[in-house]
Amino acid sequence: MSKRKIKRNTIGVLLVLTALYLSLIAYFCYAVLFYGSRWFADSYNTRVKMDETNPRIIPGSIMDRNGVVLAETKDELVKNPTTGKDEKYYFRVYHNEAASVAHVVGVNHSKYGRMGVEAFYIYYLMGYNNSLIEKIYQKAFLPQERGNDVVLTVDFRLQDYVSGLMRKQGKKGSVVLINPKTGEILTMVSHPTFNPNDMERVDDDSLVNRATQGLYPPGSIFKLITAASALENIEDIRQRKFNCTGAVEFDGERIQCYKGEAHGELDLTQALVVSCNTTFASLGIEIEWKDLLKTGKRFGFNDDFLFSDIKVKPSSLPIGYRTSKQEMAWTAIGQGKVLVTPLHMAMIAATIANDGIMMEPKLLYKVVGRNGDIQKQLEPDVYRKVLDKENAEALKNMMVKVVLEGTGKQAQSNKITIAGKTGTAEEGSKDESNKNIAWFVGFAPVDNPTLAIAVLLEDVGQGETGGTQAAPLARKVLEKAVELGY
Amino acid sequence: MPAKEYEILALTMRYWFVLLILYIFVRSLVSTVRYLSNVKATAEESTGNIPFVLVLFALTAFVLLSLNGKLDVLTLLMGILVCSTFLFQYLLLCYLFGGIDRYLLLMVDTLCIVGFIMLQRLQPALAFRQVEWFGLGSIFLLLTILYVKFFKHWDKLNYPLMIIGLGVLILTLAIGKEIGGAKNWIQIWKYNVQPSEFVKIILVFVLSADLKTNKNRLRRLPVLLFTASVILLVVLQKDLGAAFLYFCLFVFLYYIATSDWLIAAGASFLASLGAFISYHLFGHVRTRIAAWRNPWADVENKGYQIAQSLIAIASGGWVGLGLGLGSPYVIPASKTDFIFAAICEEMGILTGVSIIGLYLLIMVRGAVIALRAKKPGDTLLAMGATISLAIQSFTIIGGVVKLIPLTGVTMPFVSYGGSSMLVSFGLLGIMQGIAIKNNQKKQDKDAQQHGEEDERYDEQEED
Repeated sequence: MSKRKIKRNTIGVLLVLTALYLSLIAYFCYAVLFYGSRWFADSYNTRVKMDETNPRIIPGSIMDRNGVVLAETKDELVKNPTTGKDEKYYFRVYHNEAASVAHVVGVNHSKYGRMGVEAFYIYYLMGYNNSLIEKIYQKAFLPQERGNDVVLTVDFRLQDYVSGLMRKQGKKGSVVLINPKTGEILTMVSHPTFNPNDMERVDDDSLVNRATQGLYPPGSIFKLITAASALENIEDIRQRKFNCTGAVEFDGERIQCYKGEAHGELDLTQALVVSCNTTFASLGIEIEWKDLLKTGKRFGFNDDFLFSDIKVKPSSLPIGYRTSKQEMAWTAIGQGKVLVTPLHMAMIAATIANDGIMMEPKLLYKVVGRNGDIQKQLEPDVYRKVLDKENAEALKNMMVKVVLEGTGKQAQSNKITIAGKTGTAEEGSKDESNKNIAWFVGFAPVDNPTLAIAVLLEDVGQGETGGTQAAPLARKVLEKAVELGY
Repeated sequence: MPAKEYEILALTMRYWFVLLILYIFVRSLVSTVRYLSNVKATAEESTGNIPFVLVLFALTAFVLLSLNGKLDVLTLLMGILVCSTFLFQYLLLCYLFGGIDRYLLLMVDTLCIVGFIMLQRLQPALAFRQVEWFGLGSIFLLLTILYVKFFKHWDKLNYPLMIIGLGVLILTLAIGKEIGGAKNWIQIWKYNVQPSEFVKIILVFVLSADLKTNKNRLRRLPVLLFTASVILLVVLQKDLGAAFLYFCLFVFLYYIATSDWLIAAGASFLASLGAFISYHLFGHVRTRIAAWRNPWADVENKGYQIAQSLIAIASGGWVGLGLGLGSPYVIPASKTDFIFAAICEEMGILTGVSIIGLYLLIMVRGAVIALRAKKPGDTLLAMGATISLAIQSFTIIGGVVKLIPLTGVTMPFVSYGGSSMLVSFGLLGIMQGIAIKNNQKKQDKDAQQHGEEDERYDEQEED
């Protein structure tokens, strides 16, 4: 072995090791930059745990966008059972009707940990964003350090109203209302809910925030994405006529329209209006998996959703080169292995309403410091450009027609113009058809959308659909929101 | 000092510490780049004010720590002890060996001092023990330098070394103690010793002694068997980190010496096969992998260590929470395996990045020393030590920041632990010994050249 070769190999190994180290540094910085705030906000971070007897920092309050206090820290003199002396005791107190915002605000409890905004914004609530000078000032001159107040984009009146509707309806589910232009979350309700002032009696199911953590099959509302992909990838789609015979078979797999109804000859718009399964199933096969996946990814499927304001479970669109034809057909009508969260569905509706531009969902309106100084204010961020204006406009018109003459008729309102799409999905395996999910996604007013909505109801009975269950609920919520000036 | 005043002081001082560490890192970086590009530059270049900055760093940190609560004289004394030990070691080694690579030594000492500070903050008694280990390590360093420099026939010791290596590992398996899930400790007198650490040095010597000669594959069989069996033995001790380290050491050194892709690729294939089998066979491997893929899925049990480490790093932010102001106690094994997370929490991510950078520079300098060695055996020896240190620090830091699955190895020069400290200094000794040899030859050559020129000059005069 020559000396020269040894040296050459040494240099090779050195380069490999250097690359390892540089990737370590790069990964380290990337991870801290993108995930750092999430790690910090984790419920297991004991550094920011609520200390009841001797808090180093008193957490700030949480308010809705109109200044209604939803959560604050109070103290009380309580006799210590062991020493017999009065001791100051600190705890979080929530609004009397806090159950209606419970999933948004969450809790901060020494025993039950943190969740919701109480967890995700603990950085601000505990004043970690304060400047060095402010920190030093507080340590030097205040008896106790104070965190900052957090103002949310949600409107408590609306939140309370929607929560009341959900309670009356009696079904598990979720309603998300956002502003398509700014991405502000105006309402985010998950039902069943819990009372954060009384954490002793809470069952685990009601703690789940269905709006951001619940993954559901989208059913027919996924046809919006299939339609978008068709508009982009099939040239003559606008002139194309389909013929629906009520059912269609792919390699032995039979896909039926609702109640086996044959829709006859129709175009893409009509197919969406009557929610024709056979048309969209065959479109799903015509569009290649690559193109459908591309469109889906732009809409945010399979994305980690690293939003700065809110933690959302990633929606999944698990198609690839191994996906069978049948699977593609089921996927195109939202029934395969596709899963979405209600918040993501509201974002999709908002994207269509907002000329194809998806805004990042925002929940933080502002952070207010000790002296009322505003430390951080809502700045709308474009999440990504999903559709071009023309296709967004086409989808918009289709959704208008769905409410005017199609499955979404029950969303019609005499106060505002609403556009939308209904969906009824089968949960779990295809045999268990008695457990359905009702969806409605939409936006209003049609000519200048300022509201986008997603309504989800679990466990609807046989014969009940998104059109009969979710659409009327959406109408009521949208009417109320317009009444309140949104 | 009352709590509030201390907090204000620590909050302000954290910028100072980050600044000093960054300064040391940047200076080392510049000098290493110069060292790389300029073949003529000897290791004897001036280190300027770096020793002074390092002393300043250590002193201010210990003074700050001593002010937490009541003035703690012991901490102050500890600071003085650390500084004087460092200065004594540095100056003595520079005095004894002109050709020593001073920057390399300083970078290692920087890492040690950061470790001392963090240990003092976590558990002062351990910091004192660590300084003892530092002293012993420095003696070990001196001995290794002398061994490498003067002992010409180290390749003759291959078979005894192999037998010793296998012996201690088998002994560990038989009478070993299980600490932290791995049965890789034996108790000697009152100390817990980790034999797999020492086998690392043995492996470096054995491999480079064998690989420096040209042999066919069959004649290498004893060494190949030895390597395979030590890897197998540490796997049986559930010490996956050491197994990975031995394996990398072997593959890289073997490739450097023989350019033999076949064996390197074959070994990699076997290793992946072994990893695959052990994934399905051993529960602890599956746990590690699951915790790496998503520590948040089971934060309370499997993912707890990594999750707490990440939370600590994120809590620190770029400049850290300030010495004494975080809660690194929450991190499991914060004094040993996870000390990097504790450092990041209180001294900041910038300090963390500088530390990774220092390891990188140590590796680069080690490789340059290897490249400038005159004999193939020396190149391999220096490279073996370099690879060993580099892979070990990469493995643990990568594990702590969730780049790769966590394996329980120590962070060289920083983590608390006697075996680790001694062996790391031993490896440094190998690098320094060869650096000294290189520079000595260069000096001889320079002198010779001068002599020749003089002679020529004389000849001319005669003409």
